[in-house]
Amino acid sequence: MNEQENTKAESRREFLGKAMLAALGTAFLAGQVEAKASEAAPKEDFEVPEGDEHLIRMQRELKEALKKPAKERRWVMVIDLRKCVGCHACTISCIAENKLPPGVVYRPVIEEEVGSYPNVSMRFLPRPCMQCDNPPCTPVCPVHATWKDEEDGIVHIDYNKCIGCRYCITACPYGARSFDFGENYSDQTPKTSEYEEAPSFDWGKKWERKNGDSPIGNARKCHFCIHRVKEGMLPACTTTCIGHATYFGDANNPKSLVAELIGKPNVMVLKEELGTHPRVYYLV
Amino acid sequence: MKQKKAISRRAFLGGSVALVGSSAFLGGCLSSKDSSQGWSEYPLAKPEHQIYSACLQCHTACPIKVKIYDGVAVKIDGNPYATQTMQVQIPAATSPKDAARVDGLLCPKGQAGLQTLYDPYRLVRVLKRAGKRGENKWKTISFEQAIQEIVEGGYLFKDVPGEEKRKVLGLKDLYKLRDPKLSQKMAEDAKKVAKAQMSVAEFKKKYKSHLSLLIDPDHPDCGPVNNQFLFLAGRIEHGRKEFSKRFMNGGFGSINWLEHTTVCEQSHHIAYEMVTNQYHNGAWKKGKHHLKPDLYEAEFVLFFGTGAFEANFGPPYLSGLVTTNLVEGNMKIAVADPRLSKTAAKAWKWLPILPGGDAALANGIARWILENKGYDEKYLLNANAAAAERDGETSWSNATHLVRIEKDGPGRMLRASELGIGDEHSFVVIQNGKPVAVNAYDKSTPIHGELFYSGKINGIPLKTSLQLLKEYVFSKTMEEWAKLAGLEVQDIVEVAREFVRHGKKSVAEMYRGPVQHTNGYYNGQAIITLNLLMGNIGWKGGLSKGGGHWHEMGNKKGQPFPLKSMHPNKLHPFGFKITREGSHYEESTFYQKEKYPAKRPWYPHTSNVYQEALPSAQDGYPYPLKAILIHKGTPAFSIPGAHKNIEYLADVHQIPLLISCDVVIGDTSMYADYIFPDTAIWERWGTPHTTPAVPVAASKVRQPTITPLVEKVKVFGEEMPLSLEALLLGIAEKLKLPGFGKNGFGRGMDLKRPEDWYLKMVANIAAGDKPNDSVPEASQEELEIFYKARKHLDSSVYDPQKWQKAVVDDDNKNWWKQVVYVLNRGGRFETFEKYQKSGKYLPHPFKGMVQFYVEAVATTRHSYTGKRFEGLGKYKPITDYSGKAISLNSSKYPLHLITYKDILGGQSRNLPGNYWLSSIMPENPIILHKKTARELGLKDGDTVKVISADNPEGVWDLKNGEKKPMLGTIQTKEGVRPGVVMISWHYGHWHYGSRDTLVEGKIVKGDARRSKGICPNAAMRLDPVLKNVCLSDLIGGSTSFYDSQVQLVKV
Repeated sequence: MNEQENTKAESRREFLGKAMLAALGTAFLAGQVEAKASEAAPKEDFEVPEGDEHLIRMQRELKEALKKPAKERRWVMVIDLRKCVGCHACTISCIAENKLPPGVVYRPVIEEEVGSYPNVSMRFLPRPCMQCDNPPCTPVCPVHATWKDEEDGIVHIDYNKCIGCRYCITACPYGARSFDFGENYSDQTPKTSEYEEAPSFDWGKKWERKNGDSPIGNARKCHFCIHRVKEGMLPACTTTCIGHATYFGDANNPKSLVAELIGKPNVMVLKEELGTHPRVYYLV
Repeated sequence: MKQKKAISRRAFLGGSVALVGSSAFLGGCLSSKDSSQGWSEYPLAKPEHQIYSACLQCHTACPIKVKIYDGVAVKIDGNPYATQTMQVQIPAATSPKDAARVDGLLCPKGQAGLQTLYDPYRLVRVLKRAGKRGENKWKTISFEQAIQEIVEGGYLFKDVPGEEKRKVLGLKDLYKLRDPKLSQKMAEDAKKVAKAQMSVAEFKKKYKSHLSLLIDPDHPDCGPVNNQFLFLAGRIEHGRKEFSKRFMNGGFGSINWLEHTTVCEQSHHIAYEMVTNQYHNGAWKKGKHHLKPDLYEAEFVLFFGTGAFEANFGPPYLSGLVTTNLVEGNMKIAVADPRLSKTAAKAWKWLPILPGGDAALANGIARWILENKGYDEKYLLNANAAAAERDGETSWSNATHLVRIEKDGPGRMLRASELGIGDEHSFVVIQNGKPVAVNAYDKSTPIHGELFYSGKINGIPLKTSLQLLKEYVFSKTMEEWAKLAGLEVQDIVEVAREFVRHGKKSVAEMYRGPVQHTNGYYNGQAIITLNLLMGNIGWKGGLSKGGGHWHEMGNKKGQPFPLKSMHPNKLHPFGFKITREGSHYEESTFYQKEKYPAKRPWYPHTSNVYQEALPSAQDGYPYPLKAILIHKGTPAFSIPGAHKNIEYLADVHQIPLLISCDVVIGDTSMYADYIFPDTAIWERWGTPHTTPAVPVAASKVRQPTITPLVEKVKVFGEEMPLSLEALLLGIAEKLKLPGFGKNGFGRGMDLKRPEDWYLKMVANIAAGDKPNDSVPEASQEELEIFYKARKHLDSSVYDPQKWQKAVVDDDNKNWWKQVVYVLNRGGRFETFEKYQKSGKYLPHPFKGMVQFYVEAVATTRHSYTGKRFEGLGKYKPITDYSGKAISLNSSKYPLHLITYKDILGGQSRNLPGNYWLSSIMPENPIILHKKTARELGLKDGDTVKVISADNPEGVWDLKNGEKKPMLGTIQTKEGVRPGVVMISWHYGHWHYGSRDTLVEGKIVKGDARRSKGICPNAAMRLDPVLKNVCLSDLIGGSTSFYDSQVQLVKV
């Protein structure tokens, strides 16, 4: 365990360092991907409550963005590592929202100790899918079940096309994809818990994980909670982020909070050198 | 630990490639699902799929919204209407329809609540023991039969070998004193006997025909036999607290309602209570038991132990305030903790203090502050309310008030009457060398006094409170304080300088860490004293008493249901509690006979001395118990030295009737005679209170969100889910206890169902604390949302007609629409504008006097030594009950054991049974500094056993023929003080679903994941004088969690 841990820590430190150098460049490049059509606006109208709380502001901006044609908006996530407290609320919120089984984690948080006594600290790194504009995971799919969507800018998976070959899992340089083996958390117990049998709304469709049906046997990954976004709601990891470290919104709106944040010199992306052009930005 | 999961997942994937073809292929091609990428509806965005409630995965009790699909709770989020889960919450006027799309913050524990709710090991029917205690053989019996048996008693376990002839007293046999008038008279006279104002003989003569009602006629101050029934709660909360007290006190007539607080942080509460206590009509009245930094505007926070990101009150609320202020450069924090907590990881300074060195650090800082005149002199000079008011202060201190110096040290505060310069309720200060009387609460004449004075007046040696503090903190050099704290002088000086630099926007904050020691109260007081020196109480950025709440018990004017007084014919319980808490030893027949030392400790200043309950009963001091009902607590597990409690609980002769109310078979309920299933917190009611860190008012309401999974039962002719309420109502029905059933509230109002009680509380909250303070009525749209959102609820838990009937008051006013307004928001929350518009003061500031020198403590005595306690927050050694210092240096057991809470767990539950959480952290490691591990020849991944002088075998003796070794896995770190071993809570269970259990002759398989990790409590130090209990703080009552030494043995 320790040997592996160290290797992992090393490599991450390496890429964090490299990524820093070129952070600004990507932020610009990535903005130019073209989107085609728009998702429908939320079916029911609703008012975003008053207030300047950051979640309210982002939701207001989200609602504004949904009114625009899809090609004019650009969903991005910003994670402020200075504010991440390593609580794993996002990990669990995502598991609960998407009813993820054992072994499937869309948004782990990696903890790492740095320094030596008494000058010690800890680093926490939440790692969702980067929704790369140049994703290495999609070209390897033999059945075109995964693609960079031109409408919403999300790297999609069609569970019904996916044959579960897991090439994409290997191809992702961020380890953002995992495989649904059909396990349940309550497998070693006398009964399956009710919440595990409840449907998920992954990708905006209703999925019941039963009888080996999809998404069992599929590659799975973060989708920025696009099912919530289209209802005018922020992704689950964002609303639950107790350190106020996670931000989501339309980077093409220059007045949006995310646009403000990624316009700062302390922005970076992971593994910049790979040219994947992530849509997840980190503030350091 | 956390990375291990990621690694093992990868390994799992790698090793399982061969599986790919079949399952994936089937999954992909045989699915009949529509493969278009069209959107389906997202029902969880709709208000009719949401019910607001309150969490209880930890004591923070965050406001939550539970999202429901098809009658199943499928997602839990934070409540956006509440400050605790939104920081600046949405306006209360926001329609639930719009709020439905706003999710508030919630920690991972709260979100994993679904796994406690739908725990595969949830109990749904009453279990009765079918083997020996702890043997894990059960049968299921009906609720009616179970109530019948515990009330009537008899040969209840005649089928169990060895118990054929054991006749169990039923609750009816303990419910002896039933006459409310007699109970009141006896209570008054028993008190007189305790105070030696009436002799025992006189009492016996007066009540000669009623002596059989008493536990011991020679000690009438022990009270009636009713007291031999104990209600022992763990994490019980408001709503249920009051309901169960109504049952135990006014209903059953037992004084013994206890909860768990000393196992958590009670000495911290007592320290605050004492420092903020108020003097009225010659008596000290307890003050506020909990104050917190105002993190919206604090500029410097020194955390002693507790931080903002893991435990405390609680991460969803505190984390964002701190991270945002840190990143924006508005705040600096320092953390004194032997462990590099996640908060310490983001601190300007981590002070890896010696466990228990807190008072040394605090007094070192105080010394620097006094030496460099860093205190708020203007504030401290104020000797009364008028002086404070003139300076725009809501509080003042007794810094200038004179204390009498007796032969055995500082004693009472001097009263003006003693010098003939004023009345006996006035204190005295020095002005220009002359004594001046001070009525501390006088609002008309400002009085200032000299801060430092030492001299004699009328032959009485006197010093000011601040003089005493100064002399004390100067009794050691900075080097000496630093050495005792285990820190560098320079670090203490830098922290002190920073503390002073930010003045009233500096706060010293603490919770459990500094106080779970035998010197816990003093440590707490020393830390609070730093705040007093800054005069930060009541100021934004300073110490906050919080926004408070609207009172659910209805005792305020304009509230419709004054529940306490709505209790016809209630009994007057009397006598000492089993723990002798809240009583002075010197005012007892035991003192009259035995003087010092008392056989076991008396706790005049505190309450809920959890660790002392069962060992006291075991020793029969002051009396033995006959029946215990344990609810949401686990005394066999959670207390230091809890294994000693197992000896008591497992023995039917020591405690003849043991009833438990639990959601699963737990580590303690495993020993019960009967387990009554409880509703889980998402299925039931409550009115939890809010942390004082929240500066605006908040009244949270917990309410049923799904149909409870437990069996339905019938009580008072009403169908309801099996639960603590059903159990208490069931007993009340059988025994005809006053205040329950038909006309239970009087005034023609029944108390037959949980809602009859809880909805009245909600109505009180809705009505507000003064006339015309009511919430608006729910609109028609809101009423419809309310009804739609509850369509899935069974009539046994939700019947709109019965609910409405419960909230019609004496004047025939129906509060229903206001109640719905509150329930639709999960409570009532004051607008945050109240804070934003309150200028430099907190919107609800503390008002009153604060004490540097606490007379109320300094004039009371230790029940063993007979010596007086101290009035200052001094640094004290760790002591046993006899007051003897305990050496913390041992070559055989060289490691200092500490515990902590990871963000993922509570103390005794959640982990590892909440599988989402345990997928991140499957067990708790035993953490050592890398250097310490090297010295011991240990490395990461080694399995070791924890042993100690009190438990050289390193086991939990479960008293059922099994011994569970305290084994764990070594993890080495840099972020821990060398020489310290730290082990988090949550793990090391022996039941909680982890073991095979025989029910009705069939084995229910346990889940091995749930017994992972280690609980080190059995290795903790026992009191060498008392032997069957851990060390304790005699003032605050806290258990000693951090004064134990252990060794790790490789296995």
